[in-house]
Amino acid sequence: MATNTNIDYKKEQSNYIKVLVGLLVLTAITFVQPHLFMEHSSFLAQMIIAVAKAWLIVIYYMHLKGDKLIGAMVWFTLFLVAVFFIITIAVDVTHFQFGDESYITSAEHSLAGAEVHQTSSAHE
Amino acid sequence: MAHEYVPEIATDREGNEYVVQGWQDDFYGGKLGFWLFMFTEVMMFGAMFLALTYYKTLHPEDFLTASHHLNRLLGGTNTVILLISALTMGLGLLKMRVGDVKGAKLMIYITMFLAAMFLAIKGVEWTEEYEHGIFLMHDKLLPESSFPFGEKLFYGLYFTMTGLHGFHIIIGIGLMIWLLKRINAGKVTPEHHILHWNIALYWDIVHLIWVFVFPYFYMIGANHGN
Repeated sequence: MATNTNIDYKKEQSNYIKVLVGLLVLTAITFVQPHLFMEHSSFLAQMIIAVAKAWLIVIYYMHLKGDKLIGAMVWFTLFLVAVFFIITIAVDVTHFQFGDESYITSAEHSLAGAEVHQTSSAHE
Repeated sequence: MAHEYVPEIATDREGNEYVVQGWQDDFYGGKLGFWLFMFTEVMMFGAMFLALTYYKTLHPEDFLTASHHLNRLLGGTNTVILLISALTMGLGLLKMRVGDVKGAKLMIYITMFLAAMFLAIKGVEWTEEYEHGIFLMHDKLLPESSFPFGEKLFYGLYFTMTGLHGFHIIIGIGLMIWLLKRINAGKVTPEHHILHWNIALYWDIVHLIWVFVFPYFYMIGANHGN
């Protein structure tokens, strides 16, 4: 079965341009947000804008609008990421027994470690 | 020189002929298979973003300070370049679907040019950072450096993730060259354009990853210290 070529070029092109304009507007908001709104929750604001941009790309540029099977697979993958990475890692991280000794988890240790390294390299 | 698409024929014991359903003709199967590959990309980058989030919760101040020092002008320019390249790639596919093969090829060439521009700007940015002593296993990012540990983590992930993303851009350029060769050979046509469709999907996921990389690294500390 060959692929369908019966498409309305003008309409599809106009959709692509509209999505581009939407993405450009959201990119502009990305730039002004830290100085305009939610200044103290910049991370959250940036991620909300990014999700809105991602939604436009997935639905219109990646043609997922109306594609129920692949759409369901996308949600399932996100669910897998949530289960295997967030929940599993969260349990591991909250029970990390070397938290106070690790250079990564202990800010004090990381600074002290850097100083020790500096001193030792100065002696060499 | 263009060749006409010739389907493979299988014959049974009675001599009846059947057209073999290859990937060229199985449009939905080809698309579904490529989406499965893309999910592995989502999981790989997803894990990296989660690691980044975890380290950010441990060293929030260092992350904001490091983010504040990244070049937002170059990062923003690259964001717009990728955005336009996603449009040209999409329009190229659209032109292929309606039979304008020449127009489709032109759009692929423009996308390749934009991808090269993206890499060139990334190169300028990395050189600038290297000259400031910030690069993987160099000067400030060396274990013995007194540079704040959280900033070392931030820049380590920054170079790893933008580097991996840049690698995907290079792969994308390679795929587009291959696509052009297949179009010239008559293997990708308006009737059989699954390869074009999937490479356009690949380019969209490369763009999609940048949609999160850019704010996460460049924008979270934009107003830090103001």
